[in-house]
Amino acid sequence: MAEILQYVHKDAFLHRLHPYTKIAFIIVVSIMCIIATDLVFLTLMVLAMLAVAAYSRLLAELLQQLKLIIVMSAIFILITIITIPNGEILGYIIPQGVPVIGGFIPVTTGGLTIGIVLTLRFMVLIFAFQLFLMSTQPRDLVNAMEKIGLPIDYILMFIIALRFIPTLQIEGQRIHEAQLARGFNPGTGFVGKIRSVAPIAIPLVSNALLRSNVLGLTIDMRGYRTGKKTHVRESTLQHRDYGVLFAMALACTGYIVLLMNQII
Amino acid sequence: MIELNNVSYTYPRTVQPALHRITLSLEKGQCIMVTGPSGAGKTSLSLAASGILHHEYGGKKEGSVIIDGKDVTHYSSLSDLAQNVGVVFDDAEAQMIFTTVEEEILSALEHRGLSAAVIEERLAGIMKTTYLEELKDRSPHNLSGGQKQRVALAATLALGNDILILDEPTSELDEHATKRIAEILKDLKDQGKTILLIEHKFGQFHEMVDALVVLENGEITAQGIPSDVLKDDRVRGMVLPDFSTVKGIAGTAIDSEPVISVQNLTHNYGNVQALSGISLTIRKGEFVALVGENGSGKTTLVKHFNRLLSPTGGDVIVRGKNTKDCSIAALACDVGLVFQNPDHMFFADTVREEIAYGVKNLGIEHGKEVIDSALGDAGLTESADLYPRWLSRGERQRLGIACVVAMQPSIIVLDEPTTGLDGYEAILVINILKKLQEKGHTIIIITHNRDIAEHCADRIITMEGGKVISDTGSA
Repeated sequence: MAEILQYVHKDAFLHRLHPYTKIAFIIVVSIMCIIATDLVFLTLMVLAMLAVAAYSRLLAELLQQLKLIIVMSAIFILITIITIPNGEILGYIIPQGVPVIGGFIPVTTGGLTIGIVLTLRFMVLIFAFQLFLMSTQPRDLVNAMEKIGLPIDYILMFIIALRFIPTLQIEGQRIHEAQLARGFNPGTGFVGKIRSVAPIAIPLVSNALLRSNVLGLTIDMRGYRTGKKTHVRESTLQHRDYGVLFAMALACTGYIVLLMNQII
Repeated sequence: MIELNNVSYTYPRTVQPALHRITLSLEKGQCIMVTGPSGAGKTSLSLAASGILHHEYGGKKEGSVIIDGKDVTHYSSLSDLAQNVGVVFDDAEAQMIFTTVEEEILSALEHRGLSAAVIEERLAGIMKTTYLEELKDRSPHNLSGGQKQRVALAATLALGNDILILDEPTSELDEHATKRIAEILKDLKDQGKTILLIEHKFGQFHEMVDALVVLENGEITAQGIPSDVLKDDRVRGMVLPDFSTVKGIAGTAIDSEPVISVQNLTHNYGNVQALSGISLTIRKGEFVALVGENGSGKTTLVKHFNRLLSPTGGDVIVRGKNTKDCSIAALACDVGLVFQNPDHMFFADTVREEIAYGVKNLGIEHGKEVIDSALGDAGLTESADLYPRWLSRGERQRLGIACVVAMQPSIIVLDEPTTGLDGYEAILVINILKKLQEKGHTIIIITHNRDIAEHCADRIITMEGGKVISDTGSA
């Protein structure tokens, strides 16, 4: 089963970086890709993310989500083509030869470009965020977020939400099987589909609520919210962190120059 | 170390007290085992004894609980209580917050005000006591049930308290994994820990138990040193059930027609071979027990009977039809599968509606009569209008069976139908199955319990590493 947004235990480049460096990395990458509108630049950023993943031996894990990304991209592009017609008409989604409805929904250069830009941005953001989560132990994440000054309750909420994704996936699968064995009908038509959700969703939510009670007690019994903490095995910024930070500073400078000259 | 004086407790919005006049005393270094039917209030008792009930739950409380010489109401908070008491709850998964085993234990140690050097030393010690060293980088969803239980125990041990309260730490484990937990607890007791253990499997823990407490309907009905308490036949039947008393028809299925025929079946999950070259025939009216350790392929095998899994190689023939040519829905009419955790299926508002779901799906005629008879078979007639999740574990297990029985499949497969039940409840379930066998159903159960397999089944199939290693009916 594809494990969504989970830490992957490895000893590679990104894993060895300090969480701060990685947080800086996501912030810089996010800002860069949100401001830039140039197709070539964004494509290069996607390739850069893949290169970082390959160098950190996380490429296979990163590409597990490719199917989801392709589906989302197709939806993005379709929506922008329909909603933002602009520029030259390249063709029509419904061919002109079709009687009555033929020639509707023109595919324009403007709409297509915006769709592709959005898709590329989306890919950069997803890849950067995934690389961060796959290479950072939740404990380090908690420490880093605490130091930044986020309240502990919100930090716990965040890491628990991530931690239980695979658990809910597995549980959902089991519930689905149990209902299939009872002749569960996935449903046809809109109403049927909505109705067929209940036999899966109700046990999933009820079990999760029951579980949250034990989870809450565990958090308090272990004293996670007391604020008292001995810091062990804390990583400090290393030479490689300074190297990466310096490289990012250079990239930012170059980026600003490109922006000022309106190249991207 | 822990004293309960005349403790009564009623949950908010309920009338029936969950605990009634409980008086119990746990001395330093002692181990008390609490047992009793499901829904008797065992978990409530563990919450009361740890002080959690007084701090976190509303409802009506009477009597006093004293932990380490101090009344629980004088502790300022849960984390204050946690300085004295360690609790291992029944749901191991919910007690794992981080994504590797080592992180989980380390993070529990970090909040005890210890120095970094002491933390490292304790971490190593705990990993060793709980045999988790090799698993230190695993994530929770890559651990077996037994391993998860050990992590939950280890993270609680990290708190370094002398009092340990454990709520059914072995309920979903096989014999081997249970033995391992029992050994760890025995070591901890020898180190001087005081232990309150909620358990059904007295047989596996008898060496370390100083006192046995029987809880029924929220009241203590027997209490004392185990050998005395067990002199009472009724208690003995609950704690050490004798499955040889289960009556049934003699195995006369040898000549009947085959209903399931498995031919050279293999199944792979990715690169892992879960089943390799399984061939067996199950005949009409047989009562088959499928035994073997966790991960030996039992559940994978039975999921092929109704095509929840499709063979990687080989064939499965059910009542003359190759499952490859049947849909899951069509097979559901022939093969009913009751999963290990009944809570994975309940979603209706009443017990009756829950049973009606499968009946409606299959379009069975005379639905009302069928449902009434299934309720009767499962002994749930009086609970027909209750909300399924309010039932005790034993009743929910029987409801799971009723849901499947009402669909009238000729073959009924049950995965661990006696998990978390006391002796009487387990025998009740087995008797229901025996009656179904008499009516002509073929019964296949997966079980960890050797006694059940030996006394109740006509045939025992043992699996190991994805293969059948012995089959008493193959002669």
